[in-house]
Amino acid sequence: MTSYLPAVAEELLRDIRKVYQETTQIPDDLLLALKFVFGPSALQALDLVDQRSVTCLSSPSGRKVFQFLLYAQVIGGSGHLYTCYASCHYCPCPAFAFSVLRRNDSLLCKHILAAYLCQAMGLSQHETVTDQQMSDILSGKAGRGT
Amino acid sequence: MADILALVFRHNNAQPRDLKNLSFASGPDRNTLPCMIVGERCGIKTSLLFLTAVTAAAELGVRVLFLTPSPIQSLSGPLKDSLANLDPDGLKKIKFMYPRSQEELLQDVASLHECVRGPAGPPSLLIVDGLEHYLGAGGRGPTAARGEDQSAAAHVAALLADTAAFLTQKLEERGEACAPCRVIVSFDVEWQGHTPPGDPSAQDPLLSVLDRYFSVRCTLDRDRNPAAPAPAAAGEPGDVWQIYFSGVGIADGHTSAQEDGSVLGQQWRLAIRPNGAMEFSPVSAESLASM
Ligand SMILES: [Zn+2]
Repeated sequence: MTSYLPAVAEELLRDIRKVYQETTQIPDDLLLALKFVFGPSALQALDLVDQRSVTCLSSPSGRKVFQFLLYAQVIGGSGHLYTCYASCHYCPCPAFAFSVLRRNDSLLCKHILAAYLCQAMGLSQHETVTDQQMSDILSGKAGRGT
Repeated sequence: MADILALVFRHNNAQPRDLKNLSFASGPDRNTLPCMIVGERCGIKTSLLFLTAVTAAAELGVRVLFLTPSPIQSLSGPLKDSLANLDPDGLKKIKFMYPRSQEELLQDVASLHECVRGPAGPPSLLIVDGLEHYLGAGGRGPTAARGEDQSAAAHVAALLADTAAFLTQKLEERGEACAPCRVIVSFDVEWQGHTPPGDPSAQDPLLSVLDRYFSVRCTLDRDRNPAAPAPAAAGEPGDVWQIYFSGVGIADGHTSAQEDGSVLGQQWRLAIRPNGAMEFSPVSAESLASM
């Protein structure tokens, strides 16, 4: 997905990867930079990473997606599974539709940023699904195949 | 992606040159980014996509997946001939699918990853004809597209782009020369029969979303030169179109588009011959400057 990010954001994620691998921490200056580049979604995305709510699903074909299990009971809304693609920016969440697609004032939503951060920090949960389940997930027909 | 279109134009040039070595440009000049053909509602985009599929399969040996809402009814004589002249191997390389709804399109594209381990191998050119058909865009007005429609358009476009990226990786793993996997779609821009003036994305909320994912735009503009003889009906013999590429990369480092073969910034003239054949000729920078 990196080709869809501006150079400054790519560099920042590279720095985070490097520092996090060495110290398992994100120092204040990088946190500040993260907030500067991505705005309020930066802290929300880090929360998602902390809560381990990002799962990297893969199927035998090798196809991958990122999925977000929302703690619906906490938010009080309906339970949703958001699926983000591995190579380009798309998220079915309302923030992506509004801030990214409609108003064009954000680069991405907290979910896509969390997927980037999980990869950089090596903190994704991994799960395997069948190819058929992956197809249903990609098309939006199914959340997580059960 | 746009490189394959430019290749089709050269192949169907009004003044044929050396066509023996029809192949993709290599190196930094080749443009394999997802490409969207936009223009007013007219069968010409379908014909162009069809010609692209046939050229890719026959001349480049590329496996093509052609997604279109319904079987192509009316092909001009020369297009029918080009299909008839395809050898069986070439013909086998083009697969048509007819998803009728957005849901079916999403399912068809989403299941492409399942075929990567089959003996035939994955397609390396994905074509979607009439994307507007799948985006609830029929009869839309400038204000009709709501957030939901934009999100749905992003879903379809992102799935195509992500699938192409995945298939590219698989084609490369198989060591296939036709990698990367390219994507070309067509999209109508029109309201009540009038193409709005200026940049259509300013007025079409779906187009601005699609532009995020289809980095190269190939615009078809009907030539309405007042000096021309009585205009033919769109897509009929005598009809003339201007074709130009725009998009990512135009501003940075593609200044010498004429020499380096880069498609961005190239402009072509498309004339429909009396027999219905599409004939392309490059428009030089000088003649552009005098326009
Ligand atoms: Zn999101």
